[in-house]
Order: sequence, then C-alpha cells, then structure tokens
Amino acid sequence: MDVITVEMLYRERREQFELSLLAGREGLKRKLANSEIARPGLALTGFFKRFAHSRTQVIGQTEITYLQDLPADALRDRLGRFFSFDLPMVVVTKGLNVPADLTAIAEETQTALFSTRLSTSEFISQLAVYLDGLFAPTTTKHGTLVDVFGVGLLYTGSSGIGKSECALDLVERGHRLVADDIVHVTRKAPKVIIGLASEMQGFHMELRGIGIIDIERLFGIQSVRLQKRVEVEVRLELWDSKAEYDRLGLESKYTTILGVEIPAVTIPVSPGKNITVISEVIAMTHMLKTYGENPAELFSQRLAEELRRRKMSDMYLERDFE
Amino acid sequence: MVEQIVTVTNPLGIHARPSALIVQTASQYRSEVRLIRDELEVNGKSIMGVMMLAAEMGAQIMIKVWGDDEQDCSAALVRAFAVRFDN
Repeated sequence: MDVITVEMLYRERREQFELSLLAGREGLKRKLANSEIARPGLALTGFFKRFAHSRTQVIGQTEITYLQDLPADALRDRLGRFFSFDLPMVVVTKGLNVPADLTAIAEETQTALFSTRLSTSEFISQLAVYLDGLFAPTTTKHGTLVDVFGVGLLYTGSSGIGKSECALDLVERGHRLVADDIVHVTRKAPKVIIGLASEMQGFHMELRGIGIIDIERLFGIQSVRLQKRVEVEVRLELWDSKAEYDRLGLESKYTTILGVEIPAVTIPVSPGKNITVISEVIAMTHMLKTYGENPAELFSQRLAEELRRRKMSDMYLERDFE
Repeated sequence: MVEQIVTVTNPLGIHARPSALIVQTASQYRSEVRLIRDELEVNGKSIMGVMMLAAEMGAQIMIKVWGDDEQDCSAALVRAFAVRFDN
C-alpha cells in the first residue's frame, strides 16, 4: 500500500473537511499509520496509560473547555506531555478558538494542528469513511466482473476460455459490465468485496480476432457499471470428462478474496455451450439462497420425506396379518 | 450385458447424496447403465433419474450395464450399494 501522509489528506480533502492549518507545517510529512480516530479527553486530564497516540487526534468542545479551565502551568505541562508523543495530526473541530499554548506547542513539536468548521461527529464520520477507504486492503484479480440481475459475478479461468465473450453476451442481454480482464478488488467492509475496473482501462475489452472494443460506446451507458460487490465467483474450465462436477448443489463451495469467503461455482465449458443463460441461473439461484431458499436442499428434503414414508408403509404391510 | 439385483440397505434409502455417488461411479465408465425398480427404468448417469427411483431401505434395484467395461462398472456399482454408499 502507498504511504499515506498528512499532507496527502490535507491536499485531497481540505475543502470537504473544511480544514485550515494552524501550526506545524513540518508535521505534514508525518505518516498516518492506521484509519483510526481518537478523542484524547482522558489523556488531556493526565491519564496517559493506553493513550492511542498513533491515531488521528480530534479535539472537540469538551476538551477545549477543559483546557481553558486549567491553570496556566498545568495546561503547559499537560500539552507538553500530549505533544511529546508521535501524534500523526491534531484537529480542533467546530471552528473553536484554539488556546495560544496549543498552537505554540504544535509549532514547537512540528505536529500538524488543524481547525475544521465541521462539528466533531460530522468530522469524525466523514474522516472515517475517507480513511477506511484509503486503508482498505486491495488486490487485483485476473477475471471479468459483470452485474447480472444485480448480482456481481466474477468470471475466472485460464486465458482464452471465453470470459470476455461471456461478458459480451451478457451485456447484449441487458446486463452490465464492471471490469474485463483486470478487476481491482477492495475489502470495503468486513465481509464486502467491491470490484472495479482500472481507471485507465475503463470499459474497454479485447476480443480475439477483433481487437480492442469500447463497451460503453457500443452498448451505451446502461451496459456498464462503475463498481459492484463481488458475490459469486464463476470458474470457467474446459470440459473434462474425467473431472467430477457438482451434481446436486447441496454443498456450498467458497473461494477466498482478501480473507472474505465468496461462494464459487465451477462451470465446465465446451464449444457451443451457452454460458449466458447458465450465468443468469447462477445469479438467480444466488438471490434465492440469499432470501433463504435453497432449491437443492428443498428437493433433497422432499425425496428424504418420500423415502421415509415408503419405509413406514412397507413396515406396516410386513406386520399386517389381518 | 451384465445384470445384477441389489437391495438398498442404508436406513435413509437412496436420497440425494447416495444418488450423486451412484451417478459419479457410473460416469467413470464408458458403459451404459440403467437402474430398474419395478416398472421404472432410469439412466444410471442421470442424477434426476436416480433420485426419481425413490428407493427406500429394503427396495430391490436391478442394475443393467452394457459396454466394453461392463464388468468393472457393474462391480463398482454393486460395491457402492454393499458399503451403503459410504466410500
């Protein structure tokens, strides 16, 4: 991952966060080590055990009021200890008046001190979204991501197996392409993987025998989508008469992307086999399962019930001597 | 052509999983496989067909196999029934 500095945050988001730099310009070079945010109230009272100093420090009205009530020497002592830690950055919210001692010591320790006009909770929630995005684990997958009926299907399989052709067929049927060949994936929430195309590639696609085509140009804006949650991995492989394919669908198989388990299906392909319709079925079955209905399981239960009924009636006839 | 009659001995009968095992076993051979129960004859390589037999414990099934590897195929299927589909 790229190193994220305070300067980068300031440059990219000073307007959104309504930030102004009060002191410690040298501190802009400091790195943000994590996406977490701390309210240092307890530390400012002098309790520095377990002080989360590697987090972005946000000072609100409570802290400022407390600092203003402190006698001058206690204030300098407390701020001295606070700023002796390697803090990434300090932000005072609500456009509050910043005590002169605070500005002075930030300058002295070369720690970036900002003021924002946003309220504490608003600033924290906006900053958290931004930082979570920056620190989210990311990787790239070789495959094609298509939104089929609102379900994100990630096609994988060896080169030339027909991932792009399959996506093209789906687009033609009204589904939406997200990324072809290279899919950037990010873990946006503990169990959510989001996929998108690289900015450079956009919705271009290479087709064997034709070359590079532009899906958005050819099929219009409704045929593409900027990003989509990856919900099912569809592995395409050449039909192998020796291999055993899932016949029942009772056991769910998973693949792991960035530590998140994603349902996976393996589809054998052979010339002339229509993967498009199969893809739509995969998407619809996934929706059914998400809504709590598993067709394979229901069918299996029905069969088991019938077998039990037959066994019972056989046993009854066996013992019936009337 | 090889014909063998087997009895379903596992308590739950040929439910979904044993059906899958029968089909997988049969598909490993080139021979044609039919399973017959009373009037119903199904293809031993079709999962839906095998499940439609609805063979409960105690049911008798005739296994009919023909092809160049019929002996091996038939033996493998009889074995699957004998071990109660527990491979």
